[in-house]
Amino acid sequence: MPVEKILVPVHDNGCDDEALRLAGEIARVNKATVHALYVIEVKRDLPLDAEIAQETSKAEKVLHHLEQLGKELKCSVEATLLQARDVGPAVVQEAVERGSELIVMQMPYKKRFGSFTLGDTIPYILKNAPCQVILCRDAMTPDIKNGSTHA
Amino acid sequence: MGCGRVGSTIATALWKEGHQVVVLDANPESLRRLPTELQKEAIVGDGTLEEHLRNGGIENTDAFVAVSTGDTANILAGQMAKHVFQVPKVVCRIDDTARYEIYTELGLTAVSSTQMVSDLISQAVYS
Amino acid sequence: MGYHLAKALLKSEHEVFIIERSSLKSETIREELGSLVIVGDGCEEAVLKEAGTSRADVFIAATGADEDNLVACQIAKHRFQVPRTISIINNPNNEKLFVELGIDVCVSSTDIILSHIEEELPAHSLIHFMAIRGSNREVVGIRIPPDAAVVGRVLGDVPIPEDSLISFILKKDGTLMVPDSEAVLGSGDEVVAITTADGEEALREALTGAA
Repeated sequence: MPVEKILVPVHDNGCDDEALRLAGEIARVNKATVHALYVIEVKRDLPLDAEIAQETSKAEKVLHHLEQLGKELKCSVEATLLQARDVGPAVVQEAVERGSELIVMQMPYKKRFGSFTLGDTIPYILKNAPCQVILCRDAMTPDIKNGSTHA
Repeated sequence: MGCGRVGSTIATALWKEGHQVVVLDANPESLRRLPTELQKEAIVGDGTLEEHLRNGGIENTDAFVAVSTGDTANILAGQMAKHVFQVPKVVCRIDDTARYEIYTELGLTAVSSTQMVSDLISQAVYS
Repeated sequence: MGYHLAKALLKSEHEVFIIERSSLKSETIREELGSLVIVGDGCEEAVLKEAGTSRADVFIAATGADEDNLVACQIAKHRFQVPRTISIINNPNNEKLFVELGIDVCVSSTDIILSHIEEELPAHSLIHFMAIRGSNREVVGIRIPPDAAVVGRVLGDVPIPEDSLISFILKKDGTLMVPDSEAVLGSGDEVVAITTADGEEALREALTGAA
């Protein structure tokens, strides 16, 4: 199935570059465009359109960096910054609105309460995204491999 | 109001000091914790209902103690005792520490067993 | 009740957020209304904080337990300075205490059910909509039956009791009419009025009495 539009949700979790590289590879083969999407989660005690300077500048830095990386990879990266209450629904909605044919995500090996977890956002996207989804999990870090439960 | 371990212990202690005590609990089984003499005076009922408090003689009481395990029920009953029945002394058990602070500010005399037990255990750990 | 209330408020374009104790129910709400629900106990300060209660203009407690509704409203009011707290009251005896403790609006579930039942009963021509707080007055609706003496007459000719005030008339065709003495009453019109518990029977008789 030809892919023209790829959506890459990013979140400054150390995996963004890898996700973009993977998406960039796929984009190059398919001559597709890549949309990098950063969603700022706004807590309920602030209005949805509140200006959260710290978060915004962090997000802009991440997106700017990814645009530069896109140039290196020779693929066109369009960056979008959104504010939402929950990341999952925002990503799915963006994929629907843009008509993305593929979502590419990368996640670190995370633990919660001592065992491996996908978190809340990734299962939501896997369950609800209308298009194909590629999820790449990072390799375990050495301390996880050694069985530490506090990673 | 409330005849769990806390309620029955307080009721028994007050009674031994010579006070007249009426215990109210929704569950008749709980009232078995009381000494036989107090069981005779005990009432099966819901302390958040005006009518049941009235049956327990709240209109002439000097003090009302709400120590069920339900914070919100204790808070409703305590405020009812204070504002509707003008009981001179009202004490509520409010285990949730955040709620305990709020209602203390609002002028309700409250005790948080969570706070007290945690403090005591921390002290014991450090001693 | 809270779910249906939220749906109605959303339709009127308010920002709505729901706190629901049951994770099963909140999942249903999330699927239908989107991410505007958290699972938690609305009587806990931390949960209210996460729900953004400090930004709320109105806080509504609509659980089936009066003690929970009271505590949730009091915390919303005193910790989060919500300007208007509304509590459903399951036991009508609690209304006076709740008002004294600072809850701004009390809605008695018994009254709601009663007014619904009254609405469903065609023979019952008077419906209690609400009591007006701080007074002994109430808002009622009276539907004019086909055989009433007032059908076809103007409002100025109808002996309205002194303690009652006609607020508006909802015509049978759905149009609203401001009541003046020239307003003509028809069968099936609904007259909405403010009256007292003592005066409602006289008002009902005046508007529905047979010719």
